[in-house]
Amino acid sequence: MSAKSAAKSEDALDLDLANFAIDYARRIGARYADARLESTSVNGFVLKNGIPQISGFDRVSGIGVRLVVNGALGFACSNAVSREGIKALVDRAAKITRAASRIGEKILLCPEKPETARYEVRQKINLADLGPKEKLAAMFDVEKAILKAKANVSGRFLNMSDFYTEKYFVNSEGGKILSRIPRTDFWYFITVEDGNRTSQRYWQYGAAGGFETIYNYRFPELLAEEVKATQKNMKEGVKPPKGKIDVVAAPQITGIMVHESVGHPYEADRVLGREAAQAGESFISKKMVGARIGSEAVNIVDDPTLPGSFGYYLYDDEGVKAGERWLIRKGIISGLLHNRETAAEFGCASNGAARATGYDREPIVRMANSIVKPGDYSEVELIESVGTGVFLKNFMEWNIDDKRLNAKYTGAEAYMIRNGRLAEPVWRPTMEISTPKLWGSVDAVAGNMEYHAGTCGKAEPMQAIPVWFGGPSMRIRKIQLSV
Amino acid sequence: MDEIAGGMEEGKKTAAYVVKLLKKRGASDAVVSVTREDVSQLKFANSRVSTTQSWHSEKVSMFAAVGRKLVSTNLRDVSEKAALDAVDRIMKFAAAAVPNKEYLGIADGPFSYRQPDDMYDKEITRLGDTAVDILDGAINAAHANGARRTAGVLETTSFCISLLTSNSVEAENRGTKAYFSMRAFVDKYASGHHTCNSRVLRKFTPEMSAERAAIIAKQAIRPEPGIPGNYDVIFSPLPFANLLESVGKAASIFNVESKLSCLGGKLGKRVGSEDVCLIDDGTLPNGFDTAPFDEEGVPTQKNVIIDEGLLKTYLHNTSSARRHNVKTTANAGLIAPNPFNLVFGKGSFNKEEMIRQVKRGLIVTNVWYTRFQNYETGDFSTIPRDGMFLIENGKVVGPVKELRISDNLIRILQNISAVGNGSEQVFGWEVEIPTLTPPVLVRDVRITKSVE
Repeated sequence: MSAKSAAKSEDALDLDLANFAIDYARRIGARYADARLESTSVNGFVLKNGIPQISGFDRVSGIGVRLVVNGALGFACSNAVSREGIKALVDRAAKITRAASRIGEKILLCPEKPETARYEVRQKINLADLGPKEKLAAMFDVEKAILKAKANVSGRFLNMSDFYTEKYFVNSEGGKILSRIPRTDFWYFITVEDGNRTSQRYWQYGAAGGFETIYNYRFPELLAEEVKATQKNMKEGVKPPKGKIDVVAAPQITGIMVHESVGHPYEADRVLGREAAQAGESFISKKMVGARIGSEAVNIVDDPTLPGSFGYYLYDDEGVKAGERWLIRKGIISGLLHNRETAAEFGCASNGAARATGYDREPIVRMANSIVKPGDYSEVELIESVGTGVFLKNFMEWNIDDKRLNAKYTGAEAYMIRNGRLAEPVWRPTMEISTPKLWGSVDAVAGNMEYHAGTCGKAEPMQAIPVWFGGPSMRIRKIQLSV
Repeated sequence: MDEIAGGMEEGKKTAAYVVKLLKKRGASDAVVSVTREDVSQLKFANSRVSTTQSWHSEKVSMFAAVGRKLVSTNLRDVSEKAALDAVDRIMKFAAAAVPNKEYLGIADGPFSYRQPDDMYDKEITRLGDTAVDILDGAINAAHANGARRTAGVLETTSFCISLLTSNSVEAENRGTKAYFSMRAFVDKYASGHHTCNSRVLRKFTPEMSAERAAIIAKQAIRPEPGIPGNYDVIFSPLPFANLLESVGKAASIFNVESKLSCLGGKLGKRVGSEDVCLIDDGTLPNGFDTAPFDEEGVPTQKNVIIDEGLLKTYLHNTSSARRHNVKTTANAGLIAPNPFNLVFGKGSFNKEEMIRQVKRGLIVTNVWYTRFQNYETGDFSTIPRDGMFLIENGKVVGPVKELRISDNLIRILQNISAVGNGSEQVFGWEVEIPTLTPPVLVRDVRITKSVE
């Protein structure tokens, strides 16, 4: 990040206002208070079938304050940030929370060392240094590459946004964290037609960093390949074989499986029923930590500190230092994702999983970057080891029940494996599988790590938060596919 | 004048200043809205309030067309100086942007507006911390009907939106909302969900919702694993609203043009059985998203999307309507038209009569995680959650679990054979477009499950 933009963004936040908010909350009787003062600059572009729809810029800024009053937890926020405004905000939150404490849960926060830190993600190409012309040009390059692929791509929907978030966290225990994180986000939705078949593909890429991250992904080449593969799949795709077969799942599939069937059910707030009416609960219970859920080959972590990741942070939205947290080690459930509140309930320390999508949302337990750890094989070795099977490169439709026990993944680009080699494409191979069956059937993991981006939804009102999910290719033995 | 509308004056002055300035600087069209909103929420879990939340926001939203270069931004600081800076940035941004050759302008005002009934209730703005008593009553009602624990939200909103355009539109919309969602549990695998919403307090029924959620949960105790196959399915209003939301989105011309609609190319054609009548109604009394005007200030109206199974219209704003040689349906979205409130036409059957028509079927009381394999063909799947009940030979046999609906949206609409005679207005976590719908009976729905 350039010195010029650092100075400019420092000016954007009046840190004293956040300090004032927690002081005032304490003065009116809060046992605990924290505040997040945030400012995010956003630029966004949409290209529909080659036509720019609208370009937008925005600066989203405001303050969110949490307080514990009469043992109950309250949250309030406003984008009108002034001392008088903050007083009114805190007063209102305290009044409602006091009243609610009559039927409120008594909130305990696990003890944590107050951290003081400043950190930032550097940009090679500063987001603020490029105008709409250069950013739109990157999208038109993708459009041109799609059209050059010589397929009937009747729907081309491209979306690109960049964000620069400056955030100051402060709490009544002495924690003070200032962070500056730039992010880029690109997603596409294409419709390819061939004869009487149509096929659609959506995918997303995101990273923490400057605009170089957009160039580094080489979207024109990626999309051209995607279009060609989709067309081939429609033209030549056969039904998946019947009966139990071996499947090699490529990193995109591995990633979505980790996110949906490991990351989500390991969120401790779901285990405690806090998300029951929204994103659901979990098949995991307190007692299951230490139990086997997969084969010895399965090692899974969530790590917010992965450099350049879409879910990157070093301190969470409760000011707790983040690090790699193990969820499954050699097939055994080794831990859950915690914030200070769930950690207090479990009698452990927080592992820094409290995140909010912005100043206007309460921090709750979230994933950041969930991945299967790499193994000793290569992807080629996994494929070579399969007699008759299916290689699932990516997917389109997927879902999982709200306890995270039964999932469905329908392949988009997929190929038959015959005698250890990739053969003809497979049309819509569908895997419906339970979580224990899935992770119990993974018997080998490759080393070809990939990280993919998603915007994960949870909470009410919805908090759509940037995450990475990924890992290497995995061999899944003896499972059944359908159409 | 109440507090929420009272804070609007400076913003409205700024809006007028911005419209004038944008025109002076060369914008062909300008749309500026000022919004002020206060929201309070009680979030509860395990039958206790887990968090109280409150939001206050005020903003000026700006849209400018400079020729056909379209730019939008929002402003939190409503001072004239901040507005001047924003206009400077808009014009600089537009200078470097690329034209949208599809854009054909905004509506020409002025218009006169009719205030729909039941849009605003001072009692909601005055609720304050007494909302806790309403929630307490609802939780107690659920427990009295057999729930062991409950989770959900009770939320109230008051807002004021003032709209000004360069084409002589000047309009204001002031409203209140109350929303309640409860999931009741008897045990981990026996649950029920119900929601209610209203623009006025006297029609807000959280205790009734709580009772219904608890009754479903109680009936869902000890579910048996379901068997995959084809079933006739009775969808309660909550899950059917989830599916209708996808139909409503598919009706937007923006999604049709983007190939994200299973209604594309089907205008005038059959997309459902004769029992299917779907309206988008921006004027619906007590409709959760009812508004006097759309985002460009055109007075809202009733649009018949599907009539007796035939697709009658897509949803348009002025620009898309001009492009397709039709009249706007008053559904702006300045870029993408959107439904306000979806209304599915009522039928004549009560629940028991519908159950009696089913030889082998399911009652689905909720779904979640609806995802499409192909938006253009309508191939999708969704997962029943909460109480799901097996019907055999016209009688409910008992609760079942672990099934998935894997079918096609158009096929679902075409296989509707009976429609219930009582409607519910649904809004919630899985239904973002408010939808008034009765239960429906859909024949021959494909049901799948995990293979061990």
